[in-house]
Amino acid sequence: MTARIIQKLRVAAVQASTPEVMLYTLEHPRKPLLPAWEAGAHVDLRLPDGRLRQYSLCGEPGVQQRWQLAVKREEGGRGGSAWLHGALAMGSDVLVSSPRNNFPLVAGARRHVLVAGGIGVTPLLAMARSLAAEGADFTLHFCARSAELAPLLPELRAACREQLVTWFAEEGRRFDPALIGGPEAGTHLYACGPHRLTEAVRAAARALGWAEANQHYEVFQPTLDENFKPEPFELRIASTGQVLLVPADRSALEVLREAGFALASSCELGVCGSCVCGYRDGVVIHRDNVLPVAARQDRMTPCISRARVSVTLDL
Amino acid sequence: MNSLPPKAPPTHWEAFDHPAARIARDVAGGAGGWRGELLHIHIAEAASFEMEELPEATCVAGRGIEGDRYFLGTGTYSPKPDVREVTLIEQEALDALARNDPPLQGGPIVLAPEQHRRNLTVRGVPLNHLVGRRFQVGEVILRGGRLNFPCKYLEELLGMPVYLPLYNRSGLNCGIERGGIIRPGDAIIPLD
Repeated sequence: MTARIIQKLRVAAVQASTPEVMLYTLEHPRKPLLPAWEAGAHVDLRLPDGRLRQYSLCGEPGVQQRWQLAVKREEGGRGGSAWLHGALAMGSDVLVSSPRNNFPLVAGARRHVLVAGGIGVTPLLAMARSLAAEGADFTLHFCARSAELAPLLPELRAACREQLVTWFAEEGRRFDPALIGGPEAGTHLYACGPHRLTEAVRAAARALGWAEANQHYEVFQPTLDENFKPEPFELRIASTGQVLLVPADRSALEVLREAGFALASSCELGVCGSCVCGYRDGVVIHRDNVLPVAARQDRMTPCISRARVSVTLDL
Repeated sequence: MNSLPPKAPPTHWEAFDHPAARIARDVAGGAGGWRGELLHIHIAEAASFEMEELPEATCVAGRGIEGDRYFLGTGTYSPKPDVREVTLIEQEALDALARNDPPLQGGPIVLAPEQHRRNLTVRGVPLNHLVGRRFQVGEVILRGGRLNFPCKYLEELLGMPVYLPLYNRSGLNCGIERGGIIRPGDAIIPLD
């Protein structure tokens, strides 16, 4: 999770897409344009208690005057979607982060196979709109219980035309993941939906011999564990062999500083990145908001992150 | 609706109690004879929120600018005691970034006044000379507490590589000695 600007946006339109799904149109109250975004991007909505919920943008990619997102009321969920359904009305304000895209379309691909389950269709609708606009070769498989409960169905039909294949359980049509077909050069697979569906697609892709690099899945990570309980651990210093104990109530940075290691630091909250340092072995519990996932293999943020039992630092 | 609870009560150091200002107070120097101008005022109500431009703002001694995150205690760095009542940056530094000068960056970086996240954008004010010095913005008196320095967090927020280019010209963190109303166009003058 990286830092993004948060804007207070205004709800410009509310529309029921299905009995469970509301489609919200958001605009900036003062500015004509919102940040640019591409298909597959999502934003964080901030709830009144500070928790974040991720929603994919499902409007027309490239349109910056307004954003659209669809929220399914999750009964028995953690309460975020129920609050949004209750609180968001025409003219109300909502805190929204700038978009980030962990699920982009692969530029220059020859063909795209999209598999959506239920509300998981939101990023794929934006993708379909993007692909249709450039005249790309694609198929979107859309699984839902019924046409009535399928979110954004008219929008999908308009965007995809005959490239949309619907699989509605109530009509007795069940999606067979083998329909993604065998891997072909330049063909990319994108899936978003319930865990069971994405796992079935993943298994089929593996069985059919798809390369990892051609498969793309959107999985929303749970936010930082609010119940995190710090445990003591050992810091080993690679250059000197020193072993320093970090008690449960202190940060690795504090212990390092006390031992004479002058690491730069600023925020001491895991957001600025000043104190980031390298590590060798050990299981690090990354709790910062600054390091990209790829960097976490060998870099950690000692002001906030910890380790299980022991970690060796490149100091 | 949707207002965030403060992360922590605001903790501001008196500007001249900051180690940097304390040392600078006893060292001769600084630039005199200049007269600058306040160009823009920006605040944000909480960490990471977009900055909002104000036509006038109320500065409160010992607290900050009314409505700003460091006045409210909702800033990224609010839990850390420091000098953050008001932050300033030179328009000249932004102009230099925009012409890629010095050429430390891939190319020109255009940083709009609402993007750099300092409260006051000023012209004709030698901010780097004002640590440990008092100066006046309109009717308000500020005390230079320490030099601002860029932070990776800003790079992340902006998605622009501004960390190195902003080094040593990232502005000044100030305390408010005498509060009051400020507006763009206000004159800025040195007091000592």
